[in-house]
Amino acid sequence: MALNGDDEDFEWEPPTEAEMKVIQARRERQDKISKLMGDYLLKGYKMLGDCCDTCGTILLQDRQQKNYCVSCQELDSDVDKDNPALNAQAALSQVRERQLASQSPASSQSAELNGGPSSSHIGVSVPQPRPEHCEGAAAGGRAPLPPPAVPSTSAPPPPTVLAPTRPPVCPQTTVLQPVLQEAEDAVLTKLRWATNQLQSSASLEASIQLCSLISSCANSLRSLKELSQ
Amino acid sequence: MMRPVEHLHLEHVLQTVGALEAVVLRSFGPHGGQVLFTRDTGQAMLSRSGTRILTALRLEHPLARMVVECVWRHNAKTGDGSKTFILLLASLLRMIHTAASKDPHVSLTHNSKEAAKAATARLLADKLLAFALDELDDLISVGVVPYGCVLSWKDFTAKTQSPVQKLLSSFFYTRLGQSNCDFISNLLCEMLTHWKFQHDPPSGSLQFINDNFPALHTPVLGFPISCSRLIEGQVIHRDFATPLTEPDGGSVKVVVFTGHLQPKLLNAGEVLELGCEALGEQENRGNGTSILHYSTFAEISLEYVFSNLQSLGVSVLLSAVKQSAAVLSLATQAEICVVECVSEDELSLFTHVMVKPCSLVICGSGEGQTEQYAAAFQEAIRMVLTTWEPLNTRPTTASKMVIHSHKSTSLHTGDTKPTYGFPCQNSVLEPGCVVPAGGTFEFLLNHALLQHISVCDNHESFPAASQLLANALLSVPRQIYSHSPRYFLQAQAMVLGSVQNHVHPFVMLDSGLESVSCKYHLVLAVLQCVTRLFQIDTMLHTHTRLNTQSRRLANISWEDTEDEAEN
Repeated sequence: MALNGDDEDFEWEPPTEAEMKVIQARRERQDKISKLMGDYLLKGYKMLGDCCDTCGTILLQDRQQKNYCVSCQELDSDVDKDNPALNAQAALSQVRERQLASQSPASSQSAELNGGPSSSHIGVSVPQPRPEHCEGAAAGGRAPLPPPAVPSTSAPPPPTVLAPTRPPVCPQTTVLQPVLQEAEDAVLTKLRWATNQLQSSASLEASIQLCSLISSCANSLRSLKELSQ
Repeated sequence: MMRPVEHLHLEHVLQTVGALEAVVLRSFGPHGGQVLFTRDTGQAMLSRSGTRILTALRLEHPLARMVVECVWRHNAKTGDGSKTFILLLASLLRMIHTAASKDPHVSLTHNSKEAAKAATARLLADKLLAFALDELDDLISVGVVPYGCVLSWKDFTAKTQSPVQKLLSSFFYTRLGQSNCDFISNLLCEMLTHWKFQHDPPSGSLQFINDNFPALHTPVLGFPISCSRLIEGQVIHRDFATPLTEPDGGSVKVVVFTGHLQPKLLNAGEVLELGCEALGEQENRGNGTSILHYSTFAEISLEYVFSNLQSLGVSVLLSAVKQSAAVLSLATQAEICVVECVSEDELSLFTHVMVKPCSLVICGSGEGQTEQYAAAFQEAIRMVLTTWEPLNTRPTTASKMVIHSHKSTSLHTGDTKPTYGFPCQNSVLEPGCVVPAGGTFEFLLNHALLQHISVCDNHESFPAASQLLANALLSVPRQIYSHSPRYFLQAQAMVLGSVQNHVHPFVMLDSGLESVSCKYHLVLAVLQCVTRLFQIDTMLHTHTRLNTQSRRLANISWEDTEDEAEN
């Protein structure tokens, strides 16, 4: 048992300073994940015995039997970091949309340690526009709207789209207009779906969440209309 | 998505326990909040009890269920400390994880770093448990007990300033809030005084009350808690099945039946063989025996029984089973009251108790609330039982420890300075020892562990284990004073100051009391849980249920689980 200096098959050194920082960041993230999980457990979510395929976090399941990964679907969507009130709603509506569209969750594990997840997200290709992008547009248009499918051009769209000196009629508007249209369509679809769900919903909490989804969809539509004018 | 075999990583364990900790943290401490439980039926209940909150969570993860099971068992034994359990567990796991990550033994050959970490963690956990089983009680006897005081059971009466009442009052304060804790603790003190058996050790009568508590209390809905009181006699929780006849006066004679007076004929699947040996052959051949003869015979013997009872002057019949209609009508004719379907506990209490009984009437506004009060009472009894349970310690190892000298205090209940209990000169874990609440135990034990490390020689790796435990213990008071870190430092300074000056912390801290014995059991239970957690290295997902559900899960409805954890 005491085979010291057996370096051939197992080389290990104590972690360096940088690695310690990484470990510290990871620990903080784990604490955040635990806290979120605890909150969801108190809301009535079920803790499953399975782990998420992408990040290895323990999965939760809500009353409607939909699985939910706290780190993939909440911690990594950093768009509304300034609006924590909106973030959870966006995450929940995103879950529903994802389940409907049967997409696989975006890979985010590499983003953890870098500490700059927002930059890496824009480069990820997303087949459909997500509600939080609409809400990002609604939040004063502070972030440039990424085009829906940009696998090759990983550079973010030029911020001149929102330059105040330029008149609205500019070459970039043609890029903007279909995007806004698509976003509007997506929000309308979501609104319609939420209304249907609300009519048939039996649970109090689901109804509350659907109503808030409807109100945020309405807000998004209003902001989109303002943008297109 | 479900893999057939899953290897356990330390991170899974940490994450699971971290989630449970986040659930429990909000309700922890004297200023902790309550959790509102709602059902789809609209029923709502408020609770601060850690066990209740944890068992109400929907958990399918095997590790989480195992941890909650450990908490439940600890609560079933000591009645206290479920939230502290989770806090201490999480803190210990984090420290073991850090220690294992920093320095896994290079000498052990493993497939991966993860496996090496897991093995190191397991080793550390085993060492911790071994250390605790070996030396924790001595450390507590020397490092904690001298700064607490021993409450005497013999002098215990139901006076308002009695220290036992203070212990119960601080217990109820954390459970049920400030408004009623004094009243309730008073009530419980009265009950404990009544059932105090003069010649028995306190654990005898406490164990009796604990075992018979379901029969000794009656929940009543629709009244405020302040209407609760003690009543003389035992309440049988069933109504009369026959009209009540007032007794003539004097004593009432009661007969207890555990079976049916009139045996049931012809149950499904049974064969009734009729035969009468007394009759001659002729009669037998001629008429034969029939069911009518038998039932007539049964009725006549029943009437005979009741005439016997009447002549004996019996006026009440207690039955453990449901009697037939014939029995009831005969009893009504004979003016004997019948109570059916009495529970076994109540019957055994009724038949075996020698002294005049008294029972508790617990009032509450709703069903959930009354049930909570009753549960709080029972847990308080368990806590008191654990406090006064004699612990076996080995006197030889105690002599190795440095025994601090201290001033002796005397028992005066009327003094301005509340000094009570007699000094703890012995170095065994004295039953009835209490310390001030609010983290005093943790501060004292932390100090004792650190001193022990400096005193002990380092030939074993126990110093690492005791260092881990010492650091983990501080997480509890840190959480108690989480609203103000300054108070944490103040409290720590106060306790350590009293240690150095050999003064009782009582004179400085005016908080409630908590039982040293319960804390000792808590630390041991947490360490055992840690060891169990690290002994798991694989989770196998099965599609059939392997074990029957444990008792505590009987009132939680959930879907069939599909996984089990195996070693």
